[in-house]
Amino acid sequence: MSDQAISAGGRAWVSGVRDATPLLGGYIPVAISFGLIANQAGFSSWEAIIISLVIYAGASQFLFVGMVASGAPLWLVVVMTLLINARHLVYAPNLAPWLNGNRWWFWLMHGLTDQVFALAHTRLPALPPSERLGWFTGAMLLAWFSWVGGTALGAFVGQELTGRWPLLNDVMPFALPALFVVLLAPRFTSWLWAAALGCAIVVALLFAANGLPNMAIPVAALLGAAVFFVMQSNTRAEV
Amino acid sequence: MAGELWVAVMVAAAGTLLMRLLPLVWMQRRLAREDSQGGTAAMPRWLGVLGPVMIAAMLGASLVPAAGTLNAWVATAVGGCVTLLVWWKTKSLGWPVVSGVVVFGVVRFLNFVVI
Repeated sequence: MSDQAISAGGRAWVSGVRDATPLLGGYIPVAISFGLIANQAGFSSWEAIIISLVIYAGASQFLFVGMVASGAPLWLVVVMTLLINARHLVYAPNLAPWLNGNRWWFWLMHGLTDQVFALAHTRLPALPPSERLGWFTGAMLLAWFSWVGGTALGAFVGQELTGRWPLLNDVMPFALPALFVVLLAPRFTSWLWAAALGCAIVVALLFAANGLPNMAIPVAALLGAAVFFVMQSNTRAEV
Repeated sequence: MAGELWVAVMVAAAGTLLMRLLPLVWMQRRLAREDSQGGTAAMPRWLGVLGPVMIAAMLGASLVPAAGTLNAWVATAVGGCVTLLVWWKTKSLGWPVVSGVVVFGVVRFLNFVVI
């Protein structure tokens, strides 16, 4: 490999790390609260870190430890975790036109979270093909390590932090809805989408507020999708 | 952690990885077959709708505050609005989340101080 190629690869890594840096503001607070919550749910610090390392999917990790702590059957815990992560099915096909046949891409898909997808979908088309793998690797690794590092922080010193500042335990989990607000806001592009997304938000909120958090997500998502297709077909019929 | 719980973690991890990986394999094969370099192949419509509504459902479920008090609900509403406002201004990811969490914390803190 020529010095020029190595230099370009290095630049791409750095560029990926730089572009992914804003993700830390969202990842670390949520990961700290995950470490804390996993501890409170009866998981050891190392177990919480391993869950973040291998599952690496924010909301579903909260659901996983919450359901285990509440004594739900393990098969249901796995099914619900995978159901929440099913949205990831749509990400890789959207990036495929900009990925070459390099086998590393398959392993890098472990880091294809909501935020990394959003970032990659914007940046990859603008990069030369030779820099895409390096860019994605840098961005993905920074996001992954920040998530695992934040979990470790929450799991190891989270109790001390909350012991000294009890309000922190109450405040940190708000990073999760705040993150979803930021991810969802750009999707309100039409009345059709606003109705579907609004329906899903309200239904999930009502289910969760009435003590049915596990049913909230699949039921609300299905109803939101139903609203989308019903309204879309009505609009077409009127035209 | 009990043995069966480790199995559950590993199955969830493998399933999540496969859900991120297999669609890439499928789409790359489809693109190769169609020989449409640089184009975006069409996804099933339902798949494109299900992704955003899943995130919306997660938002709705996560909005319920653990404390369940009036102050916690007010803090959630104010924090959510500030998150949205900062996103509107910056169109970034980090600052809106940090701002929302800080404002949520301030409202919760005021409750402790006042009461």
